[in-house]
Parts: sequence; C-alpha cells; structure tokens
Amino acid sequence: MLWVDKYRPKSLDNMNVHEDIAENLKKLVSEQDCPHLLFYGPSGSGKKTLIMALLRQMFGSSSEKVKVENKAWKIDAGSRTIEIELTTLSSTNHVEMNPSDAGFQDRYIVQEIIKEMAKNRPLVDAKGKRGFKVLVLNEVDKLSREAQHSLRRTMEKYSSSCRLILCCNSSSKVTEAIRSRCLNVRVNAPKEDQIVNVLEFIGKKEGLQLPVGFAARIAEKSNRSLRRAILSFETCRVQQYPFTSNQAIPPMDWEEYVSEIVSDIMKEQSPKRFAYSYTSCLCENFTFIIRKIIYISHCGDYFNFGYQPDTHSILFLEVLVVHRLLCIFCIVLCRLFQVRGKIYELLTNCIPPEIVLKRLLYELLRKLDDELKHEVCHWAAYYEHRMHLGQKAIFHLEAFIAKFMSIYKSFLIATFG
Amino acid sequence: MEDIDIPLPDELEWLESQRYHEEEDDDIDPYPFPFPPDEEDELKSEGKAVSVSPKCVESQINAHKRSLIHEESVGPSTDKRRRSTPVHEDDEDWLRYYPMEKTSDDICRRDQSSPESEENMLSRYVSRIDGECIPVTAPNGDRVYAKLCRAATESTGKKMSSNFRRGGLISESIDVLLQRCEQEAFSKALHMSSEDQDAVELRETPILYEKLWVDKYAPKLFTELLSDEQTNREVLLWLKQWDSSVFGSEIRRTADDVLTSLRRHSSVTHHQKFPNTSNIRISWSQERSGHHPNLVTKDGNPKWNHPRTAGPPEQKILLLCGPPGLGKTTLAHVTAKHCGYRPVEINASDDRSSSTIESKILDVVEMNSVMAVSKPKCLIIDEIDGALGDGKGAIEVIMKMVSAERKFEKGKLSAMNEGNNSSRRRQKTSSLSRPVICICNDLYAPALRPLRQIAKVHIFVQPSISRVVSRLKYICNKESMSSSSIALAALAEYTGCDIRSCLNTLQFLNKKKEALNVVDISSQVVGRKDMSKSIFDVWKEIFQKKKFKNKKTSNLDQSSVSREFDFLYSLISSCGDYDLIMDGVYENFLHQQYHDPSMKKTVSCLNRVGESDLIHQCIMRSQHMHLQVYQPPIVIAVHHLIAQVPKPNIEWPKSLKRFRTTLMEKEDILQAWKHKIAPFISRHLSVKSFVEDFVSPLLHILSPPNLRPVAVHLLSESEKNDLTQLITRMISYSISYKYSSTELQPRNLKLEENIDAKTLIFDPPIGDYINFKDYIPSYHVLALVMKQVLLHEVEKQKILHECTERWPKLADNSKMENKCIEGTEDARSKYSAHRVESLSNIKMKYRENNSTASAKGTKDAKPGNAKGTKDAKRPSNGSNYFDRFRKLNSTCSQKTETVVVKFERDTHPVLFKFNEGFTNAIKRPVRIRDFLQ
Repeated sequence: MLWVDKYRPKSLDNMNVHEDIAENLKKLVSEQDCPHLLFYGPSGSGKKTLIMALLRQMFGSSSEKVKVENKAWKIDAGSRTIEIELTTLSSTNHVEMNPSDAGFQDRYIVQEIIKEMAKNRPLVDAKGKRGFKVLVLNEVDKLSREAQHSLRRTMEKYSSSCRLILCCNSSSKVTEAIRSRCLNVRVNAPKEDQIVNVLEFIGKKEGLQLPVGFAARIAEKSNRSLRRAILSFETCRVQQYPFTSNQAIPPMDWEEYVSEIVSDIMKEQSPKRFAYSYTSCLCENFTFIIRKIIYISHCGDYFNFGYQPDTHSILFLEVLVVHRLLCIFCIVLCRLFQVRGKIYELLTNCIPPEIVLKRLLYELLRKLDDELKHEVCHWAAYYEHRMHLGQKAIFHLEAFIAKFMSIYKSFLIATFG
Repeated sequence: MEDIDIPLPDELEWLESQRYHEEEDDDIDPYPFPFPPDEEDELKSEGKAVSVSPKCVESQINAHKRSLIHEESVGPSTDKRRRSTPVHEDDEDWLRYYPMEKTSDDICRRDQSSPESEENMLSRYVSRIDGECIPVTAPNGDRVYAKLCRAATESTGKKMSSNFRRGGLISESIDVLLQRCEQEAFSKALHMSSEDQDAVELRETPILYEKLWVDKYAPKLFTELLSDEQTNREVLLWLKQWDSSVFGSEIRRTADDVLTSLRRHSSVTHHQKFPNTSNIRISWSQERSGHHPNLVTKDGNPKWNHPRTAGPPEQKILLLCGPPGLGKTTLAHVTAKHCGYRPVEINASDDRSSSTIESKILDVVEMNSVMAVSKPKCLIIDEIDGALGDGKGAIEVIMKMVSAERKFEKGKLSAMNEGNNSSRRRQKTSSLSRPVICICNDLYAPALRPLRQIAKVHIFVQPSISRVVSRLKYICNKESMSSSSIALAALAEYTGCDIRSCLNTLQFLNKKKEALNVVDISSQVVGRKDMSKSIFDVWKEIFQKKKFKNKKTSNLDQSSVSREFDFLYSLISSCGDYDLIMDGVYENFLHQQYHDPSMKKTVSCLNRVGESDLIHQCIMRSQHMHLQVYQPPIVIAVHHLIAQVPKPNIEWPKSLKRFRTTLMEKEDILQAWKHKIAPFISRHLSVKSFVEDFVSPLLHILSPPNLRPVAVHLLSESEKNDLTQLITRMISYSISYKYSSTELQPRNLKLEENIDAKTLIFDPPIGDYINFKDYIPSYHVLALVMKQVLLHEVEKQKILHECTERWPKLADNSKMENKCIEGTEDARSKYSAHRVESLSNIKMKYRENNSTASAKGTKDAKPGNAKGTKDAKRPSNGSNYFDRFRKLNSTCSQKTETVVVKFERDTHPVLFKFNEGFTNAIKRPVRIRDFLQ
C-alpha cells in the first residue's frame, strides 16, 4: 500500500502534525462523550485522519472493523417514491457516509436516512453507560441549503443518542445554524517544516537516505498538502532511488495542463511571437494597415515597371505583415475556442471548476506584470462567485479567460503602443 | 364583379349559380389529360347556356341502384356524365342512350303531374329530381340540385304559369321576366333549403353575400399554385405514377413520357427554380396536348378500372405536411383534378372513427369497378394529425390496407392480372388501388409515426414573399382594393406567408374600407399568429442582422429598433427553452465574424451568457418561474452585440451535453473503483482528491521506470522486492491491467511502443484521467511484457488473497499450520499442471498429477513455474507467516479462472473446489503425511 496510507497515524497519540488538536480532542472524549464536531480545512491537511483517530480513541479498535454497505433506500416523498442508492461505511458504533453523493436529492438523505440512523440507539455498552452512535458526514459543504436546514433539526432532536461529525473543506458553505451547533475544529494545512518532518520520518522508517533540502523541495512543491507531499515523495523514490538533491519532482499532470492553457492564452498576446509585425503595428491599428496597403500597391507599380527587382521580396514581406494584422483579430477568437476545448478536457476529467480557476489564476499571476495582478485577481474572484451562483461553470470560466485576454491585450497596446 | 356591398339577393344567386358553372369549367384543367379537349369546350358552352338536356334517365336508373351504396359520390358524377354524353355525336355510347330519351321525357311528365313534384324541387341528389335541374351552392356550402322549371318546355308548375301570365301586362320583355322567374325559383329553393336546416335563423338574417376571398381566389389550375414549384411537381409526379394502374395501359406510354419529362423538370427546377419555369410550362403543355388525340381515338371509353402489371408507385400514400395556410389542401385538390381524379376529401369535421373511414375508403376503392366511365377518385384525408383519437382511426385503416396490399402482392403475384377486381372485392380488407393523400400540420405527431414510415413525405416550405405578394396584388386589383406592394410584402412576412390569413386580413380591411398600411400592420387588425419556430430559426435570428432594416435606419431608427426588439422578444419567449437557446448561443458565437479588436464584445457576450445561467439557476432553485421573462432581453443584448449580416452557420450545441455525460461516466468509474478498495483506504479518498492529488503520483508509482522488462527470476533481489511491493500496491488499490483494443483507446496508441491490436491498460482506467487532449502525460509507460507480467502476478495474488482472507480464522490454531502448507502445495501442483496442459484435459491431468504428486510432492511442482523460482525461498525465514505463503504461491496463472478454496476446520482433508467453466468441481482428500514423507 502507498505510504500515504501506510504511515497514516492510527491514533491520536501518534499524530505527526496537529498534535495540539489531537491533544484537545483526547481531552474532549475522555469521558467517552463529545459534542457535535465540525472539521474544516483544506484538502490534504489531515481532517479524515483526525476523525479516524478520534473514533479509535472513543471506541477502541472496534471502530476499525468497518464494512461497506451499498444500500438502496426507498423514500416516500408525498406523491412519489424516490430511490436513492447510498454507500455507507459502518462499524458497530459509527456510520460514515457522503450525503452529497445523492446530488439534488441529498435533502431526502438527510431527512430520512440520517434521521433513521440517528434514531436507532445502540445498545447500552458493557460498562453500563448509555452508548451513543457517531455519524460521520463527509463533504457537508456540498450539501444543498435545504439539506443543511433539515440537518439542523436532526442534530438537536437526536443529540441524546447520536453525535455528528461533519467534515468539509470550507466552513463558509455550511450554514451558520449548523456551525453554531457544532464544535468547530479548524484543521490547518500543515506548514512546510511540518511536512518536512513527516517526510523525514517516513524516510527513516523506509530506510532511505534523504539528501539535504530534498524534503524541503517536495514540501514546497506540495502546496502544503500532506497527501500530495507524501505521494510525490514516493513517486521520487520510485523514479530514482538514490536521491539526488536536484532530482525532478514530477508535477501533477492537470496542473501542467493548466499551465499549458495559460501559456496558450499568453502566447497569443505575447510580443515575442511576431516581434515586428504584431507589437509595432497593432498600436497604429487600421491606419497602419491602410498605409501598408498603399505602399504595397506602389511597390507593385515599381515592380511592374521593372525599376527595382528587389522590391519583390519587400513586397512579399509587406503583404505578409498586412495579412498577419488582419488575421490577428480572428486568432483571438480561435484561441479562445481552443482554450474552451481544453477547459472542457479538464472538467471532463472530474477536476472541479473552482480548482481549475484557482490554478489558472495562480499560473497567470506567475507570468503577469505586477500592475495587472490586482485587476486579474479581482476578476477571478468575480467570476468564481458567479460560478458558484450559476450552474454551468464553463460559461464563467471562459468569461474569465476572455476578460483576462481583453485586459492583457489592452495592457499590451498601452505598453508597447 | 359588381358592387358587393349592396347586391340584390336574386342577383347574387344568379351570380352564384354562374360562378358555380365557371367553377365547374375550371375543374377541368387546361391540359385535361385524360379527357379530350373538345369535351371541355362543350361543357363550357353548356354551362353558359344553362341548357341541360334532360337525358338523365339512364343514369338515373343506374344511380338509384348505386346511390344505395354510395349516394354522395355517385350523384355529381352522374350529373357530369349526363351533361357530357350528348355532345359526342359520334360516340357509340350515346347511341345506346338515345332510345331511352323518350322514356325519360315520359317519366318526367308523369312525375311532374304528381303532387310529390313540389317537394322534389330541391334535393341533394340529382336522382331525386325529375326533369332538368341545376346545381346550386347553398349558403352553407352544400351542393344541392334545384329543379329547373322552364316556360319553354311548357311543363312548368303552377307558379311559373302564373308568372308567365302576368308577364303580358308589364312592359318588360318576356326574356327578362323569365329570367327573373328563374331567379325567384332559385331564391325560393334556397330559402327552403336553408329552412330545412335551421328554419328560424335564416329568415331574419340575410344570406351571406360575400364569398371568402380565400375560396374565391383559390387556385384552380396547377399553374396557379403558389406553393413551391418543386413540391408541386413532385406531388404531380407521384400522382402520375398511379396512372398506369388506375387508368389502364392505354395511356401508359404517355404516362411514361410525362413521367420522365416531369422528372426531368423537377430536377431542373431543383437546380434553378425560377428562371425557366415558364418554359417548362409551355413545353409541358405542348407535350401533353400532343398526346391527347391518340388517347381518345383509340378507345372512347377508356377502362379506368383495369389495373395492369405496372402497379401503383412504391409508396401508396402521400403525406403532405407544413404550417397552415400554405396551400396544402389546395395543392392536393388541384393536382388530383389535374390528373383526372375526383378528389374526395375527408377532413377533421367528418366522422373519423375507423369504421366510417373504412367504409369511405372502400367506397373510393370500389368505385372503379361499378362506374364504368366516371373519373376515378382520389382520397384526400385532411388534418390527419388533428385529433389524436379520431385521426388514429384513419391511420389504422390505411395501415391495414397497405399491409394487406403487401401480403396480397406477396401471396399471389400471378393472380394479379386476371382476377384482380373480383378477388379484391372478396377480400375483407381491400387494398389501396387509388391514391391517398394525407395532409397534416405536424409531421412528427405521435399518431403519424406508422404512416411516416410507409408514406412519401413532402414537407411544405414557405413560398417566396414575392410570389405571395404578386398574388395578393392580383387579387387586390381584382377586388379594386388599393394596396401597395410594400404593405403587402410586410403583411406576407408578418403572417409568415400564410396566404389564407393574408387574404382574410385583406378582405376584412376591404370590408372596413380601410387601406393596408405598412406602419401599423402590427397594430392593425392583423391577428398575430402564435408561431413557434424551430430552435435553429431562433438561433439564426439571434446571430443574423436583418439587412433591409439597415437601409431604413435613417428615418425609422427608433421604431425599427423597437420593432426588432419586439420581434426577437416574442420569438424567443415563444420558443421558451432559454437554457437551450443560451447553450446554442454559447457554442456558436465564437464562430461569428464580428469585429472585436479589444475583445470587449466577447467579454460582455460571455457575461450575458453567464448572467442567463445565473438567472436560470436562481429560477430553478426558487421555482419563481415568472422570472423567466428576464431571459429574452439577455439574448437580445447578445444579438445586438454580435449579430452580423451574413448567414450564420449554426451547429447544435452538443459539447455541454457530451461533457456532462462523460463526466458522469468518469465519476461512476471512480466511485465503482472506490468501492473495490478496502474501506480503510478508500475512506480517505474522494473523487476530488483523487484527481487533484492522487492520480498523477499513483501512475508514476505504478509504472516505475527502473523495472526491467525481463523474466522475474532474472531480477536482482532488490528489484524483486520492488516488484512485490508494486504488486501488493496494485492489489491493495485493486488496480490491474486489462486488454483493450487500440481502436477504443486511440490516445493510448502513441504511448504504446507496441502497436498491437491489443494493449494493456489499467483496469479502472485511471490513466484516462490525465489523458488530456494535446497533452503527453509525463509518467513512464511500462513495456507490454512488463504489463503482462504484472497482470499475471496481480491476478495470482488476488486469488491467493481470497485464501488468506480465510486464514486468519485458522491463525490462532497452530495445529492448522501443516494443513496450510498442504493446501498451498496442493495448489502449486495443480497450477503447474494447469500451465502444462490445455484447459480441456485439466481434470484428467490433475488427477494424474495428483496421484504422482503424492509421492514427489513439491519437487514436481517446482519446475512448472519458470518465474516461480524466486519464491523458492523456504518459508522458514519469513517473520510474517502469511507473507510466506503469498510468495510461495505466486505462480498461479490464467486470469480467467476463478478458484474458490474452502478449508473445513474440523475435517482434516483439504477440500479444493476448482471451478473452471465447464469442468466439474473436484473434491479429493489428501493426507498431510503424503507430503511429509
């Protein structure tokens, strides 16, 4: 199994990162009871690991014996019956599920299934204490507003027998009401030195020789995601074992692809490409084109009279310039169309549009002039907001790209013109 | 025509009767193909003189018989025949009739003297009226036959004679009075007829004076048709194809000639529509008139009713469809008449249950055999898509007949020639031997589905505006109504070239003594049709700027803009599917050639599209459907931004749908894969994190570049270690390889060194998740050999994994250790046997091997596995007990086989159940001591 899973800490005691949170959680469940919990933080920060360790702390090793159930639920919703298939992981004391899998029908899951599970009180355990059940709900931020509202009541009503552990990336998408009913646990993305520590720990366990600074480089590339760091560490190990300190760390393919898109976008605008024809001529726009055309016609006259045989090549060049100028306006749209195809490619491969936008912005900012950065960031935020409000993410992604092209183009004209 | 506003009633009746005769004349087309031209002339003169000779007896007798079967259809035809017969002086038929004339006169007199004659002044059927009669169109549109009372014949009724006497006292000439007499008789008859139907109403209200212009100026001739030339010709061609079967072989040659010429013409018109139509017409008519003589001279009484071997056209039903008011019904009628048929129309106002329709169709079909001389009929079923339940009846009957026809043709092709008529009549469902034209508005009505498949379908397109306008102009001139062609063009455009509504509008305006005005066509009386255009038209309107509006922008700027807005708004809102419209706009607008140097337009266009998406989402969330009204303005804004004059090339928006479906598929694959992984791993893996962080490193890890593609036993110790690690990883993440043909995975092709028909790809196709277009993934792709080795090993491990899953139960029990060894040894021997032998005789071989293996045991098994030597390490050094077995058994092969191993705890024998498709399970007890010898 991969190192990510192999060296995942099993209990709160041997957490590598977030030791403080682990400590607090341990105190929290010392009496085998806890409030509702909401873990939130970026992906790869260790929320799930914490939750699993917490469950182990609560219920002992029995929480690790899980079984996967794929159950079809029939829900009677007024006039019709809705069939929902939901996969749950369950041990004797806890149930884990991902209610947002049901898409727009997630409301029924919350209303019916979760309620059903919360109602079923587990047996009184051996020590004579009243047992309680834990429901782990993943990706709560993807739940629709209605589902979150119905969750609210469930949390209160069955609080005597059931604890909810919610897990999400962004707490801002969880309604205020739910947040106030939970103990919010923010799980930060691990700092780079923390990641380095973890990597070194793994290296030691695996018996690997780590060159100085190598772990730091992986950590730097990992975007502060522990999962990614460990995975790329293992990738490096597979690629080339005796590590060299300047060993290439394979990038994520989709990120490479995004940067390709970005260079596509920028290349169009890039002055390097048509150094002569493009940058120097665009500023003068159409008058220039017309002047060129007149000039060409003159040259043609000379050529016809046979005064200057060399004009042939000059004439050819000039025609080429005009041709390019005229093409430029078409190219922009063609380019946009190409970019659209590539964005579709990304989205088709299940990459969430928010991440695509984020990465696009990141790549753009790396290549941009400072004075444009602010504006581009503003528009990125604007279009991301619209993307969340709307339904078809591609519209807004493309609008952002077009907007950027427009800004960048006018910037180029202003600078080089 | 006279002043229509204040016509005298009797004048009008006279007019109407006149018009009827004109119509009758027009019924016979200018190229009366099956009919001799002289007959037409004679008819014309007859009609004008209203001198119908009373020789109806013979036909009357016939008609009485027949009217029982088919009254309605027989009546008029006999009438026509009656009128046509006397003119053929040389015709033998007429000679046959001649002697009967006297008797007819006798009968007439006898009848007139009887008291019933008063009641028989007016009847729906000629046969009920004795003596001379004249067809009259009643105000309700019915055709009735009025008895003709004449002073000249001296056999008039009492009324007539009294009038006649009075005539002497007044100064007017007797002719005038006679005429008036006639008219009075008509008016009385008319009153009577209307009293029959609704006695109360019509006494007070005056009779409808005016005919609708639509009917009045309906095209009577084929050349007058307004609809598209090509459609007309094709319909005609189709009808002409019936000639051979309906009219018999005499005209077959002609028909063939005509058909070929028709075909030629229709193909010509197909290429260039308008310039040469007039030429065609001329040449065509010449051709036809040239052919007529031999038609008549050969046989004066052509036998319609002997279908010859050259059967009707392939598709026996013609289905005309198109929006209302383009002249489908008119086309059907005119063409049918043109080809010498008598159209019989069944429309939505008739009873259309299947029983009635069947009888009607049967009537049409059987006409040919009973009536020797009359025109054959052509059935026109109008508005066949109309009411679903009713329309279905008609369609069912037609389908039944067509299928019966097919069976019939299949069954006895030979019997076709001789006993066609008789046999057909005996059949319960008779087959179609007459053309059937169906007319519908919506081709894709569900009820029409069966019909669509068997019928020849013609879709009507709008006639060009100029044609409609010239026609309207002509009518306006005739009606002495002032009109400008611009206004007429606007009207035509407004109604979508619906000629019917154009004419009705014009007539209405004329009645109100108003002139048609260009500016306020929309505000004027013209009722706007609720047009729903196809979605492609909507897109076209969005992307295309109207040309002629640009010209007028100088003077009519404000109004034209607002009109355009109104037009687009109503167009888009009547379409309704804003989501789809926006998708289409989004997919197509980048192909527009709009001038946009700084991309401002593109950005704002995309913003609009995005706004529409926001509104849509908001509406869907909150279900405030009334907010949909804000959708069309967004589209109109896009229109103003990017609309161009040239015709846009629009494609159906499919990339978004394709994106959604592939996204779903890929997510499903991931979910399914996730379920296969052990839960303690998969719980940490979501789809998002998989594609974001996981897939690229995983692919790198699964295909290490330093794995040499050599046999396993040649690998060094550390390499072997790597390999086993890799295999365990693949197993724990339940990844494997599978064969796939390269056609299915074209993108993989460039990655494979080995371009075979079969390549190995990852089993959950995780490689696809980074196979972006124009992107070469950076991970190292293993050689095919290596993949095969991996596949082999993984499958083997999986099988063993199933064993090890059961072993933990035994693990506590140290006594079981031996048994385990035994089990594994047994498995090894079996696998070696399996590798050596083919699948078919494995069972036998297994037994054989087993019996020998009892002695040799492990030694026998070892050489069987070439790669298994690396596992030759005895389990003594392994700290983990089960790892030992995993390595030990790494030789099992054949991904196809499924092995279920069962250990029974209490009975010592090891039970091996080996299921291999067709082989039976084998149970064989083996003693442990056999191995320990």
